[in-house]
Amino acid sequence: MKINAKDVWAGGFLVFIALFGLFINGGLFGIGLEQHALGSARRMGPGYMPMLVFWLQFALGALVIVAALNSGPDPLERWNKIDAVALASGIGVGLILWQLMERTGATSGWMQVGLPLLVGMLILSISPAWRALGLTLGSFVAFGLALETLGLIFALVALCGISALADREHTLKSTAGMTVFLCILAWFVFIYELDVRIPLWPTIF
Amino acid sequence: MDLLANLAHGFGVALSLDNLLFALLGALIGTAIGVLPGIGPVATISLLLPITFGQPATTAIIMLAGIYYGAQYGGSTTAILLNLPGEVSSVVTALDGYKMARKGRAGAALTIAACGSFFAGSVATLVVAASGPMLTSVALSFGPADYFSLMLLGLIISAVLAQGSVLKSIAMVVLGVALGLVGTDVQTGQQRFTFGIPELSDGIDFVAIAMGIFGLGEIILNLERPEARQVMSGKVGSLMLTKEEFRRSIPSVLRGTLIGSTLGILPGGGAALSAFGSYMMERKVSKYGHELGTGAIEGVAGPESANNAAAQTSFIPLLTLGIPSNAVMALMVGALIIQGIQPGPRMVEAQPDLFWGLICSMWVGNLMLLVINLPMIGMWVKLLQVPYKYLYPAILMFCAIGVYSLNNSLWDVYMTVFFGIIGYIFAKLRMEAAPLLIGFVLGPMMEEHLRRAMLLSRGDVVVFIERPISATLLALAALTLGAMLLPNLRAGKNKALAE
Repeated sequence: MKINAKDVWAGGFLVFIALFGLFINGGLFGIGLEQHALGSARRMGPGYMPMLVFWLQFALGALVIVAALNSGPDPLERWNKIDAVALASGIGVGLILWQLMERTGATSGWMQVGLPLLVGMLILSISPAWRALGLTLGSFVAFGLALETLGLIFALVALCGISALADREHTLKSTAGMTVFLCILAWFVFIYELDVRIPLWPTIF
Repeated sequence: MDLLANLAHGFGVALSLDNLLFALLGALIGTAIGVLPGIGPVATISLLLPITFGQPATTAIIMLAGIYYGAQYGGSTTAILLNLPGEVSSVVTALDGYKMARKGRAGAALTIAACGSFFAGSVATLVVAASGPMLTSVALSFGPADYFSLMLLGLIISAVLAQGSVLKSIAMVVLGVALGLVGTDVQTGQQRFTFGIPELSDGIDFVAIAMGIFGLGEIILNLERPEARQVMSGKVGSLMLTKEEFRRSIPSVLRGTLIGSTLGILPGGGAALSAFGSYMMERKVSKYGHELGTGAIEGVAGPESANNAAAQTSFIPLLTLGIPSNAVMALMVGALIIQGIQPGPRMVEAQPDLFWGLICSMWVGNLMLLVINLPMIGMWVKLLQVPYKYLYPAILMFCAIGVYSLNNSLWDVYMTVFFGIIGYIFAKLRMEAAPLLIGFVLGPMMEEHLRRAMLLSRGDVVVFIERPISATLLALAALTLGAMLLPNLRAGKNKALAE
């Protein structure tokens, strides 16, 4: 058998989301969380369409898996040990941090989402294979974390600094020059021209 | 003549200073991103969507449309000069265009690409203007059941014409519809799949999905691939066509226009498919078909006309039925809805400024592109020398500020990151994201029409095959799906869409 691993994972992804959706919708043979009212075909309740859609998605996902069993070989890219370790520890540390913030009540302004996400992404980027993913998304999260308290300029410094690490061609000088240029561009386009309501400088002091 | 009066009205709107300025801005941005590989119209339009909120709807749509057709022009410039197609739709142009450039006829290739595009764009604009109101009057007799079937047909065609496995594409459409379920149920007010998060009660923000998957996801993939850039070989040469070249390219331009205008209307079809279709046609029909692939002018004139014509006519399903035919059009639906306009057959009557203004601005925009592009070729080529390492932080910046300013909420920023991860997984598992976006936009409308249709029919499913319009549309959908089971057709499709 020539298994198409990419398609098996794709199908599995679809099936998983479908089952998850059915579980929340309450349509998974009566078990589930929210129990949206199904209604009848004539008067469909809020749960009717989700039930149809998720069952259809479940069927299609299963079909994708079945079709994949003999359409390969199309293996996934190889994972090194460090890739797996970085992924696992990134998710793990992120979840622990989430719990810690939950306990200490540091939940305002979506910080509870942002901080664990940033730390997780930075840990992920230790592995060379995840570097582009972790640093690009990490810089985006850092921008979000800094924006409302430290202002646009520092948020952009964080965004440029972290994202520049994703490309090895960047030097300290090129990063600094780019940051200054982008800060001026952002000020001109978004604050001066479009008048977007964003604090330019830190607001916490 | 009604049409003439309407067009006159449209030109009045399109030629107002503001609209003219934003059409120019859109065309310039479009050309720039068309020239630059690694960023396409979908990412750019989703990036600029938040900026357009402050503008009147007509101006916003005119600018976004300018980006779309501007990208077709820009893509061909680099395809010809550097053998580096900036967009998928200009892959075919590179075949003969680059060979012409190597023979020292780059100028001629660029000229015929621009002039062919302009001619095709003008004809296609007329097609949109003429067929729009006609289709609209048909669409007004549609009931909820007919609408549902029409959207189903649209979704299936767009999935079938997407790259890769049909089964996976259909599954992606369904996943998109599922994502569209998140939020408040319109009829009962119940919160669905919101996990108690108030930010989700209006649904997942469409911009967050588009930017995450097409913006962030693309950047990550580009950074993972080592950069491969070619240096321009030779000079542009004279922009003038010889008499011989002019004579040979006329029939190709005409054929390309015809193919592009037709295929552009198909959901999921659009520019890339028509460019390829036109190339195939030239090879079969043209007297010089055997020269194709060695730098024949037909190979540039045909596909370039076709992809531009298709870019215009792909607005027809959107403007008349409210159904997006590709990912860019799905973004346009999003832009319209954000502006408080429900796309659909009533738009022609309710928003004549928007409808006719947009049509006329397409023609004006094409003219601008012709005028600004040819003399400025050198500048566009210079743009290619900006290294990607400076480009992607700039894109990230526009994404980040843009997505935050949607609702002034950090929630949207983190949602975008989430969809960046999802987009990365999709790319790695070869799951097409464009059908997902179309499903996401159409899903909520489909649910509403389904519920209305079933209420009217007292819960009887037969209504979908009882009404002639609906039955025809469903038959077409079944036929489309059935056709894909034929191995010959499937092989042909894969060949046509292979990059």
